[in-house]
Amino acid sequence: MKIKSIAKFQKKTTLLFIGFFCLMSCSEASNQQTVLMENNMPIATISTSAGEIKIELDKENAPISVDNFISLANSGYYTDTIFHRIIEGFMIQGGGLDADMQNKPSESDAIKNEANNGLKNDRGTIAMARTMDPHSATSQFFINHADNDFLNFSSETTQGWGYAVFGKVIEGMEVVDSIALSPTMVVNGYQDAPANPVTINSVSISE
Amino acid sequence: MNLGFISDLHLSETDTSLTNAFLDFLKSHSSNLDQLYILGDLYEVWIGDDDSSSLITSTKDALSKASKAGLEIFFIHGNRDFLLDSSFAESTGISLLPDPFFFDYFGKKIALSHGDMFCIDDTEYQTFKKQVRSPKWKTEFLNKSLVERKSIASSMRDASKKNSSQKDLMIMDVNINEVASFFDKHGIDLLIHGHTHKPNIHELDGKNSKLKRVVLGDWDKTGWCFYLDSTSQNLEEFKI
Repeated sequence: MKIKSIAKFQKKTTLLFIGFFCLMSCSEASNQQTVLMENNMPIATISTSAGEIKIELDKENAPISVDNFISLANSGYYTDTIFHRIIEGFMIQGGGLDADMQNKPSESDAIKNEANNGLKNDRGTIAMARTMDPHSATSQFFINHADNDFLNFSSETTQGWGYAVFGKVIEGMEVVDSIALSPTMVVNGYQDAPANPVTINSVSISE
Repeated sequence: MNLGFISDLHLSETDTSLTNAFLDFLKSHSSNLDQLYILGDLYEVWIGDDDSSSLITSTKDALSKASKAGLEIFFIHGNRDFLLDSSFAESTGISLLPDPFFFDYFGKKIALSHGDMFCIDDTEYQTFKKQVRSPKWKTEFLNKSLVERKSIASSMRDASKKNSSQKDLMIMDVNINEVASFFDKHGIDLLIHGHTHKPNIHELDGKNSKLKRVVLGDWDKTGWCFYLDSTSQNLEEFKI
């Protein structure tokens, strides 16, 4: 009888422990999932002299571009850079030149082009700028001011790679519009340079 | 064999972004194109092969490097750089072609031109073209000092801009009948040209098949290139 009770107690205890651990691990898994899901869409807040632009970063579809952007943002690289190329109805580009239109030395190596991730260069999306080498993006990015279909991926060739979209504006599109509509001039041989440069004061990331 | 066709870059000392885009284009296309055809107005102005501005030096160097890397580069004069001559071609390794130029490609007859020859409705321009393309005018102009030539070119450019802004856009476009008779006369399947800055692919009805006229775009906010290989043809716009 005693032995039976102990056995019964042990069995109950074992079941309880199993249940407890199961609950713990299920709960942990659930927490992990939540954390992972949150991490896949971090928010970048670009504080500029013209206002704030909030961007949802698509880490799931563009992990390399997002990690690169976050790393540069956290290091403070983008501070005091400007939107140096402004073309209304096309895009505004920034993240590489200062207010004197001088190149800021790059702090990151060129990254792989992720334009084949299915994301399109639609109005309000952010994409990595680059040279004609498809895999040459470092720090400069641009925000599309229109649906720029011709910038989308079509093939893995020099001419077909397109530009890697890695997020979209979720707040502050009016700030993007105001920059896009601001007057431009020629500075140091750069066409479409801003007459009154909009400076990036900081880029903060909330994961 | 992969071919690329560009025109109307209008490179100038005042726009380094465009120059950098062209240098970048040559670098990135040296390995994936076999032949590059520049169909005129690579430069905003050409006042003689003895001009050694930084723009000329950097672009000559890039053309030369691309040629040495195995890219065959061909050039047809535009209305802006019609004075570009053989010494430029020799020093860069590019080949100058007549306007129009014809060649066969996988059974199709292709014609290349800058395109201004089809703009016959702009009689004022055609008269001017005849004048400045005459050997006499060229010799007299090239015998002037570099400073004088720069000054003349600058005032001609200003006058041209003023004139163009007052002209009907239709007059400055190609004359469709002129284009159609060109197709008939030379029996071509594909015509590629620039000059009008109206990038498009136009289809025409031929006797037995569809004929095509590809109009290249000028490089400004974006760049344009027409790519042709044995299986495909694409007029591509790209970011600068």
